[in-house]
Amino acid sequence: MGRRRQRVDPAAGARAGALPEAIAALSRSLPSGPSPEIFRRAKFDRPEATSALWQLLFRVLSPLPAGNALASLALEVQARLVKSALCSQGYPRLALAQLPEDGSQGSRELLLALSWLLARGPVPEQMLAQARVPLGDEMTVCQCEALASPGPPAPHMEAEGPVDVRHVQWLMGKLRFRWRQLVSSQQEQCALLSKIHLYTRGCHSDQSLSHLSVTEAEMLRDPEGGQQVSGAGAAQNLDLAYPKCLHSFCTPGMGPRTFWNDLWLVCEQPGLLPGDWAAPLDPGGASACSLLSPFRALLRTLERENQRLEAVLAWRRSELVFWRWMDTVLGTCAPEVPAAASQPTFLPWVPERGGGELDLVVRELQALEEELREAAERRRAAWEAKAGGCGRGPEWSAARRASREAVEKELGALQQCWERDGGPAQPHGPHRLVRREDGAAGDRDLRAAVVIRTLRSQEACLEAVLRRLQGQCRQELARLVGARPGLIWIPPPGR
Amino acid sequence: MSIVTVQLGQCGNQIGFEVFDALLSDSHSSQGLCSMRENEAYQASCKERFFSEEENGVPIARAVLVDMEPKVINQTLSKAAQSGQWKYGQHACFCQKQGSGNNWAYGYSVHGPRHEESIMNIIRKEVEKCDSFSGFFIIMSMAGGTGSGLGAFVTQNLEDQYSNSLKMNQIIWPYGTGEVIVQNYNSILTLSHLYRSSDALLLHENDAIHKICAKLMNIKQISFSDINQVLAHQLGSVFQPTYSAESSFHYRRNPLGIDRHVWPPLSGLPPLSKMSLNKDLHFNTSIANLVILRGKDVQSADVEGFKDPALYTSWLKPVNAFNVWKTQRAFSKYEKSAVLVSNSQFLVKPLDMIVGKAWNMFASKAYIHQYTKFGIEEEDFLDSFTSLEQVVASYCNL
Repeated sequence: MGRRRQRVDPAAGARAGALPEAIAALSRSLPSGPSPEIFRRAKFDRPEATSALWQLLFRVLSPLPAGNALASLALEVQARLVKSALCSQGYPRLALAQLPEDGSQGSRELLLALSWLLARGPVPEQMLAQARVPLGDEMTVCQCEALASPGPPAPHMEAEGPVDVRHVQWLMGKLRFRWRQLVSSQQEQCALLSKIHLYTRGCHSDQSLSHLSVTEAEMLRDPEGGQQVSGAGAAQNLDLAYPKCLHSFCTPGMGPRTFWNDLWLVCEQPGLLPGDWAAPLDPGGASACSLLSPFRALLRTLERENQRLEAVLAWRRSELVFWRWMDTVLGTCAPEVPAAASQPTFLPWVPERGGGELDLVVRELQALEEELREAAERRRAAWEAKAGGCGRGPEWSAARRASREAVEKELGALQQCWERDGGPAQPHGPHRLVRREDGAAGDRDLRAAVVIRTLRSQEACLEAVLRRLQGQCRQELARLVGARPGLIWIPPPGR
Repeated sequence: MSIVTVQLGQCGNQIGFEVFDALLSDSHSSQGLCSMRENEAYQASCKERFFSEEENGVPIARAVLVDMEPKVINQTLSKAAQSGQWKYGQHACFCQKQGSGNNWAYGYSVHGPRHEESIMNIIRKEVEKCDSFSGFFIIMSMAGGTGSGLGAFVTQNLEDQYSNSLKMNQIIWPYGTGEVIVQNYNSILTLSHLYRSSDALLLHENDAIHKICAKLMNIKQISFSDINQVLAHQLGSVFQPTYSAESSFHYRRNPLGIDRHVWPPLSGLPPLSKMSLNKDLHFNTSIANLVILRGKDVQSADVEGFKDPALYTSWLKPVNAFNVWKTQRAFSKYEKSAVLVSNSQFLVKPLDMIVGKAWNMFASKAYIHQYTKFGIEEEDFLDSFTSLEQVVASYCNL
């Protein structure tokens, strides 16, 4: 008696404080995450929360790391992309597909979609990995992309007429040319990396690394350029600076002497090397401050990354609160019938009513469509008669299926061959390149010699397959030629 | 993006010298007609492409000189050093005391394998000096023995060892009434072998350049030196930096057509205020054309005439087949210059003529023993004829 029954029990009181924190942690851990207030409004399906959630979903779902180009897309475009991405990932709720794309309603549905994505995979961690600042020079060694499934089927090309084989040869020549350009620029990059690693030996404060990476060396070499690095775009600017500064390093005829001349001119005062950021500097010296700006920029970027990381950790600690709250959100939604087998296609929405003119136009379009369809049918029938049903029909699809299976089997065999002959399986993900004189390597380190050996054995496997396939082609050609009397086969001069 | 030049034989070395000289003197020429910054970028790009830095600032040509006789190489080396502006590397040349006797087979089958390692070593050292290596430029003639035979052998080796680099061969087409009696044999053997291993063949006809010297430049006594200088100017205006799309020039090639590209003589146009097109173009189908414009008013130059689809093959649209490279910076003393590099049916007639003459000689087995003596059999001749006939046929059917 006497104690008024509170509407919320004390446990919930603790929860009430924990929830905003949890949501705040979530939004800090996501790129440009909306404020907790937006989440709260979304629970009650308020329209003002909609556009922020569309944009957040777009950032999460877009395959490329965010850049300015993507951010400037119109809201409608972003919304459509979000819908199709969710649809392709198998999102079950139909209501989302039916939302208008102008951001006027549906914030609760969007909130549900976001939580669906969060439940499926480690979204904040993935976003963090995408926006990581690479301090070192990195490359990936694993070949998993190379052996992935054959990829999406090529778009079906309608035969516009006979394709001139010379055009195909021309295209092949162009492809080969681009390929060679790629190889030579990769070689150039390797040579330059090697130079930088060699010349900056002994500079790094971290003994296990001992030399600077390109990013770090660029910081020293070009303080002015570093001043452009600021804000959320920092990570990208550093990425873009990477190839740029590789080239600015390659002044013609540059040797170790010129490199160090440049460097020591800039850093006459000791204590400005990357390892000594924390060392206090004499503030009375404008030059010292301006020299520090690239370091400050880098420091800012790293601090921001740290904050995101801490936010992710905080989120993981408190996410249970969030999920309990999401249950309540789900509870407020109307129960939905299970999604229909086919998703609606996203056609532009045409208003039902229109003027009389519009009806006329609609009728004309329909008539035109009929005409085109008939014409297409006729042409298709004629073409099929001519082509003898190849490209269509059950035999063709069976042939395609068979060839696809054959390719998959080949890839599988290749993979096994690699695993058998090659060394230990290559770990995935990027590796930092470190040049070491003494040859000492830690347990987790990958030696270049091992990687090279593995790659060579993979190359040998692939070449064997190529030779076998070429032999088969030649035999097939010889057989075709032999079947036609009077045809002289002049093979190209062999190499 | 650096280019390593390989100068082969008497012709190759003489021309190579003129080319480097022209490039460097253009790079130093004061009349830029462009801003200072652009001029500096141009100079830096030219220097890096063709020369490497040395301690005392004298640029060293990125070149390898090869000849079987010492005379021409020594002359070339000393001429370069005398200029004071540039020089060749000390260890960049290879010569013997033997000569090839204008025999393709001797150059290809004897000199080639015998000196393969030494020559490739020198080339490798030169390539390693380059920060960003983009390809080879091989200068040779078709008619002699060293340039043609050894040149074909070296190009083949380069294809094997540097399969990812581009190779362009500059070939001197001999005078129709040339003094080497077996020049047609040498020519067809060279062309057929190069067609397989090279990426681009740039052809210069002695006859055509002779005409330029006589008619356009009014030189009375035309010497090889005059011819070489004209050639060098043409090549220089092709190779000096230009702006293609957005950035300054890389050593670009357009891969054109039927596996390899054979490029007919440059119709280099010395200073003209307006480009006058040869009317024959309408009867000449091109796989691709490249126009390089330098100097004043380059932005307003009208090249629409080149975009006519009638000029090109049916299977390639003009937008893919025609390219223009422009730069404000004028070349050498020319206020304006234009160069046309064309991969077209221009070459059919000269090629056909040479093949015809060679076939006539072959049919009567004239001088064949000199070739079979060194390992080039009649089979090889027949292969060469076949390849070249195919080339002629392909071009005729464009």
